Order: sequence, then structure tokens, then C-alpha cells
Amino acid sequence: MIRFARLEVRIVVFFVILLICMQGVMFTLVTASGQHIAERRVREELATGERLFRRLVDQSNRRLSDAASVLAADFGFREAVATRDLGTIQSVLRNHGARISADVVLLADIEGMPLADTLDEGHSGAGLPQVSDLLAAARDKGKAQAITLIGGVPHQVVVVPVLAPVPIAWVAMGFKLDNRAARDLQDVTALQVSFLSRRPGDGWRMHASTLPEQARVPLLHSASRQSTLDTFSFIDVGDDHYATLVPVLGEGSEGRVVAVLQRSLLEGLEPFHRLRNILAVLAVVSIVLSIAGSMLIARSVTRPVGRLVTTARRIQDGDYPEHVAVERSDEIGELASSFNHMLDGIKQRESQILRLAYEDALTGLPNRAMLHDRLTQALSSARRTASPVSVMVMGLDRFKEVNETLGHPIGDRVLREVAVRLQGVLRESDTVARLGGDEFAILLPTGDSERVQNVMRRIVATLETPIVIDDQAIDVGGSIGVASFPDHSDGADTLLRQADMAMSLAKQANSGYAIYDPAQDDGRRGHLSLLGELRRAVERDELNLHFQPKLDLATGAVHRAEALVRWQHPVRGFVPPVEFIPFAERTGYIRQVTRWVVERAILQAGEWHRAGRSITISANVSTRDLMTPDLVNLVTGGLQRHGTPASLLCLEITESGFMDDPTRALETLEQLHALGVRLSIDDFGTGYSSLAYLKKLPVQELKIDRAFVMHMVTDRDDATLVRSTIELGHNLGLEVVAEGVEDAASLDMLRVLGCNEAQGYFISKPLPADRFEQWLDQRGSAASAAA
Amino acid sequence: MNGRRVARLLAPVLLAATGAVSGAQIQATVTGADGKPVTQAVVTLKPTGNSPVPEGNPKSVVMDQVDKEFVPLVVPVQAGGAVSFPNKDNIRHHVYSFSAPKTFELKLYSGVPSKPVVFDKPGVITLGCNIHDWMVGYLFVTDTPWFGKTGADGSVSIDAPPGEYTVRVWHPWSSAMAEQKVRTDAAPAKLAFRLSVVPPPVPARK
Ligand SMILES: [Cu+2]
Repeated sequence: MIRFARLEVRIVVFFVILLICMQGVMFTLVTASGQHIAERRVREELATGERLFRRLVDQSNRRLSDAASVLAADFGFREAVATRDLGTIQSVLRNHGARISADVVLLADIEGMPLADTLDEGHSGAGLPQVSDLLAAARDKGKAQAITLIGGVPHQVVVVPVLAPVPIAWVAMGFKLDNRAARDLQDVTALQVSFLSRRPGDGWRMHASTLPEQARVPLLHSASRQSTLDTFSFIDVGDDHYATLVPVLGEGSEGRVVAVLQRSLLEGLEPFHRLRNILAVLAVVSIVLSIAGSMLIARSVTRPVGRLVTTARRIQDGDYPEHVAVERSDEIGELASSFNHMLDGIKQRESQILRLAYEDALTGLPNRAMLHDRLTQALSSARRTASPVSVMVMGLDRFKEVNETLGHPIGDRVLREVAVRLQGVLRESDTVARLGGDEFAILLPTGDSERVQNVMRRIVATLETPIVIDDQAIDVGGSIGVASFPDHSDGADTLLRQADMAMSLAKQANSGYAIYDPAQDDGRRGHLSLLGELRRAVERDELNLHFQPKLDLATGAVHRAEALVRWQHPVRGFVPPVEFIPFAERTGYIRQVTRWVVERAILQAGEWHRAGRSITISANVSTRDLMTPDLVNLVTGGLQRHGTPASLLCLEITESGFMDDPTRALETLEQLHALGVRLSIDDFGTGYSSLAYLKKLPVQELKIDRAFVMHMVTDRDDATLVRSTIELGHNLGLEVVAEGVEDAASLDMLRVLGCNEAQGYFISKPLPADRFEQWLDQRGSAASAAA
Repeated sequence: MNGRRVARLLAPVLLAATGAVSGAQIQATVTGADGKPVTQAVVTLKPTGNSPVPEGNPKSVVMDQVDKEFVPLVVPVQAGGAVSFPNKDNIRHHVYSFSAPKTFELKLYSGVPSKPVVFDKPGVITLGCNIHDWMVGYLFVTDTPWFGKTGADGSVSIDAPPGEYTVRVWHPWSSAMAEQKVRTDAAPAKLAFRLSVVPPPVPARK
């Protein structure tokens, strides 16, 4: 999520910076042009205001003039003037002055001498000298008007003659330019109005102003710096600037009177400041909105992506969630729906893989893994109900021959047919699985021993009918091993191993089927990591050889012995060969075991040879060993290394062994034979090798399987088989050895039948090398004693 | 003051001049600063010393109002004489005077007022009309029976008994009076006066 958060931040930061830049540029533009426009506008307003101002001054001139003229034309007034009726004159002046709110009304005689005025008592008569300029102008032009100082105060004054009908006196009427006048002018012109005057040789004085107090002083300062006020200028007042126009109102001997018209730049800028504030608010709002908006957009990308990531992680963990909800039709939506398709695809392929993983491709039966699962499941429910569960392992007999002689396609069809037949004899709830090669397994989840027997019989029966493929009848039998819960084990692996072991036994015994026999298995004591332990046993020399003598029945001498591997486990003690040899054969580790045995056998034979004992030692060689050139190299090297004559080594090959690849096996045997090694066919009678083939083999010896020898005395069939085998061997020019001789009767019978050698517990059990030597010595001394 | 009007006004002046008792004749000519003849100037003769001024029989005179003007501009009259103010316009006038020798007023009237106004005291009477501000006329009230008014040529002839006289010239447009002393006998005396005459601004008529 951190990555997505960063994406989100990047989007937000980009848009916000962009926006801030744009707003900044806009802000600068607006401010700059605002300043410019405001200045220009202020100048225009000032010019317009000045025109208005002048018009207003003219207007009040006319008002004054009209009022003064009306006064001067009044008959009664004229009479009063002519008669110098001062009381009347005074009242008339006041009356007419009040009509237009004139601040001052003066009357002078024709010479300009004051006659009357409306000023206060103290000032009475003081005004006229100050309008003398005006009187002079009026004499010239009939009337005059000006803005001049009266009593030091600027007044707008009009002078008209009193005509009777020739001028007999002068009337002056005026408005004071005071704060009220300034305010009235400000109301109309929208300008700040100030009245300033300057007497000759004096500084500027301010008489009235609409300016705020703090702005008046800077104006006066600015005025005093200049002898004449500029007609246009900017005057700074604090933060504000005032655009200023200074029209001259009056100029005379009394001094100069000016109006100062001003317009505040700040006020002019005010609309722009308002605009700027609105812009600022808009900027803040739009930045906030864009942050929110871009976050929303970014989230709308990162959130679903995040959900997809979560889903992807769950898929990675093997947890297939429901489809990701596709709520959108944009790219994210497409991604989500592609994601869902992918999920479907993965699910589908996984179920296919699962099916392949749990199904045997050839027969369509469950495979070992599936069987294992179902067995585990059956066991767990069986544990609750305490009902029995049985597992059968079945290996086909002679299947390798079928493959070899008829080809793999036929072999495959045979396997398929077997699968069909097995399914035909089982219930729906049972499971038939193919374990691989020619091995099948049958799980009977509810099998008591009676049913097991029943099923085994039916399997044997169904396989008795030859399988017909392409008009060719193929006869395959099966060996079945059975293990049951709770009799034998409560673990799936163990049960399978036990059934497998029983099957091996059944196969070895050619008995059709075998039920697992704990007596033949120490595996129950605990699970062995057999391969690892066996490997360690080879490395640590935990294995050793025992020797079982072969008794020459004709001479009673012992010239040969069979080397048998024994495993003395440091913890478990003695491990019987049946527990690890089949396992070693299945895993291929048998080659290492064989190497070890052959090497030791050669070594021992060499030692005995040098010690003056000429004992030919037989070593068992597995089927696999014949398929590689290793065995020949091993034997060649070993004989050389230990200085052992080749004739003192005998290799015993199981009859069924070389039938898997007869050509190859024959090749190896030829090479061994050429070395001078004695060769023996082990367990003769259990296999089905053809006599013709047997004749081609470069062997010198035939061993009759113990299964026949053990009961030959009581079982006539076995006896017949043993006799015919001996005859067969002799006919082929081979010496015949009988294994499993456990009583004197058997030994006698074998001697009668002409068997060359005998081997078995009755003669001696397998012995360690030193004990074997002792046994030989005792026997030698006994023999010599007997002699 | 065009030429036609001056010619018409000339008649009574001549009448007055010829109506005098036979005696010495004084002919006065008034010219302005620019040398041009000054018309409507009043010339008076007053005996010097303690020579008595004979009680005359003051004549009545007329000051017309024509076309909203006083006609003529100046009318001389001997003290004690009456002046009538006939209104020749078809509108009314309101003639007044605030001058010191005689203050009067003839309130709105038309035609000839019933009574002429008698002027007892010598001096200048400025006449105005309260209706028409621009109307200005002057009565010159003399304290001597020997007086005259210049005509268009700026001269006037006055018959008076031989003797010593102070001759004065007055004109409304001049701020001062010109004066000469003269001694007359049977032969006529010629006098020249120079008077600075400044016409007032022509007032607006409404
Ligand atoms: Cu009139």
C-alpha cells in the first residue's frame, strides 16, 4: 500500500503545485493590472471631479450673483441706500443674505467706503478693504466675482452695483469656503476637497478639508516643500497615495486661494483589492477542492488496485477468493475483470493439475496420492466407528514379459483392462488405484476379513480369464498383499507398506495372496528412515557378511558358502534382510548394497585362499546389477585388488531377475563367465523362464528354492518338482543346489535324488567369518576323527 | 442718440434761446477730450459778485419716455420750474429719483401724469424707472435763468444782460464741471470748453 500511497501523494502534489502556480500568476497579473487601472481610473475620476467642481463653483457664483442683483434692484433697498437709512440697510442685507445662506453681505458707497455689512460687531467694516480688488473690477465691468480672503478666510464673493439707476453703492455677497462647503463639494465630486491659501510672504494655510486628520498634515508638508503646488501630483499619506489636482481659485493682492482635489488611490484600488480577496478565497477553495478531488481520483485508482493486490496475495497463498467486484467500466474495471478471468483460469488449471496429480493418466484410476488421501480419510472415520479398513496391493505377475515381448502399447492396454476388471469386482465405495508400473492398490473402507477374502478370491478369479488383445490371449496373474486396520496398523503409510510387503511375500512365495504378517516385519517398531539408515550402515560398516556352507552331498565336504548380508543396527539391533533388501531394491540402493557384498565376498574369498582354505563364496546379485556394466568392472577390479582367483567367486542371480531384459542380462553374464566367475541361478522354480533361454545361459549351478525343499518330504508335489528340477539341471550340465534343508530326511532325500549340494539350517545357519572358520575346523577335525 | 433724434430735440432749445431778453449773447462750444463735440451738456451763466439774480418766471419742461428711454437724456430746468413726464410708450413706467435735491416717485402710470413735478432746489436729479433698470435720465435744476444745452454741434447760445458771469458746463458723463469767467457787453462772446466725457457702459435692455 505504501507504493500506492506514494502514487496518490504524487498525483495530489502535482495538481496542487500546478494550481498554486496558476493562481500565483493570475494573482500577480490582477494585482499589477489592478494598480495600473486604478491609477488611470483615479486620474480620470480626478479630472471629472475637477470639471464638476468648477461647475459647482460657477453655480454658486451665479447664485450669489443672482441674489446680489435681486438685492441691489430692490426699490426699497435702493431708497434706503440713497437715503442712507443704515438700520434698514442692515436688515435688508441680512434678509437677502439668509435667503441663499450667504455667509457675508457687504454694502459700500460708490467710492468703496463701507456702509454696512452682516459681519459681527467687532469685524464690521473689516471686510471691505479686502474686496477692494473686486470693487475695482466691478467698476470696470459692472460687476465682479472672485474667491478671496475675507478676515483671513477664503470666501467666494460677488460684487454688484446698486443702481439708482446709475451706481450709487456696491453690494458684495459671499459664501465662506469652510468644511461644510468642502463636504458639499465632496458629496458631488466624490473627491477629497481642501481649501488652502497663502498670503504673500507667508506659508500655506489650510482652511477646510474633507481629508481625515492624519492626511491633512502630509498635504500641508507637501505643499510647503513646493513654492507653488503642482497642478497634478501624488501625495503619500501613510499607506495611501492621493492623486491630487490643485485648481487655483483666486489670486489677488490678498494672496492666493487654491482648492486641493484628491482621490485616494487606495479607494480606487479597493474594488481590485476586493477582487483580489475573492481570488484569494477562490484560490484557497480551489486548492482545497483540487486536493480533495485528486485524492479521490487517486484513491479511485489505488483503492481498487490495492484490492487487486490483496486478492493476488490470497491467490498466491492458494486461497481462491470470490471474484473481485467489478463496479466500474473504466480501465480499473477492465483490469479487475481481466483479473477475474485470470482467477478463473488459474482455478480451472489448478483443478486440472489436481486431477492429474490424483489420477493415473493411463487407466483413469486414482493414483497413489489420491489413494493415500482416501485411505487417510477412511482411517479417520474408521477410528471413530472402530470398523476395519483394509488395503490390498496387487502386483501383476509376468507383466514385464508382456511389455518385452508384445510391446508397451499392448502392456498399457493390459493395464487398462486390469483396471476395468478390478473395478468390476468392487463396490462403488471401494477405491482402485494404480500405484505405478504393474502395481494396483485396492482400498476397502469397510472390509472385515471375510469381505477381504471374498474380494481377493474375486480378483484372482477375474484375472484367471486371459486378457484378449488383438486376438492374442494374454495370461496375467496377480499377487496380492493385504494389510488391515486396526489389526496391523493405524497409519496410511504403514498400511500401504505392510500390504506391499505382504504382496512381495506373496509374489516370492507365488502364493497368489498374503496377509501381512507382523512376524516377518520389524517395521512396526517404528518408522525407519530406511534409505538414510541403510546408507549410513554401508558407510559405517554396520553391515557384515555371514556365511552359510554348501554341503557337497557326494563327498560330505564343504567347498562353497553363500554370503548373506546382515545388518547390526546400533539401536535396533539385528535388522533382517527381508526388511531392507526389498526396500533397497525398490529405491535402487540395492546397487550399493550389492557392491558392498560382492567386494567383501571377494575380499573374504581372497583372505581364505591365502590362508589355505579354498572356499568359493556366493554373493546374491540383484536384477538391476545385471543391467549395467558396473558389476563386471566391480568384479574385475575386486579380484585384482584382493588377489582372489575368479573361480572362488560365485554370483547368484534370481531366476526372474534377468527375464526383465534377457539380452542385456545375458551379455553381462557372458562377460562374468569369461572372467571365470562361477554363476548360479537362484530360487529356481519360482520364475517362468523358458528352458530354451535357460540353456543359453553360461551358468554352472542351479539352486532350488527353499519353498519346494522345505516340504518335499511331506508334499509329493514338491518332491516331484525337486526331483524333476535336479534332473533338468543335470540334463543341462549344471550342478544343483538345494536350499532350506532343515532336517535329515530332506538331506537324505536330496542325496538320493542326486542333488549335488545342500544348504540349510540343518547343516549350519549362516555364520560370521571367524565362526565359519571354526565350524569348518571342527568339522574338519570331526571328519578326520571319523576317518 | 442718433442724429435724427438730436435734430428733433433741437427745437425747444432754440426756442428757449431766442426767447431770452435782448442783450449780450454768449456762445459756448463744448468738445470732449477727443476733440469731438459734446452734446447734451448744460451750460449755465451766473453773475459774479453780488449781482442779483433776477427772479425769473421758470418755465415748465417735459421729460418724455419713448421706447423705454428717457428723452432727451438731459433736461435743464430753472429752480421752481415744473417738469412733466409724459409716457409715450404703450406700457407703464415707474419714474423715480433718489437724488438729494428732489426725491420723488411717479408710481406706475401711462400717458401724461396729472401733475407735473416742481423742482425747487438746484442740483442734478438722476431719474430712473423702477420697471426698466436701464432707463436713465437727468434733470439739471439751475439757480439762474440763463442756461442752455449743447446741441449736436456741441455749442449753445445764451442771451444774458451784459455783465460778469461765471460760465459752468455740466454733463452727466463727466465727473467734473468746467467753468470760465466772462465779461460781456453788447458784442457776443465766444467761449470754448473742453470736458472729459466718458459714456457709461451700455446697460443691457430686457
Ligand atoms: Cu420704465
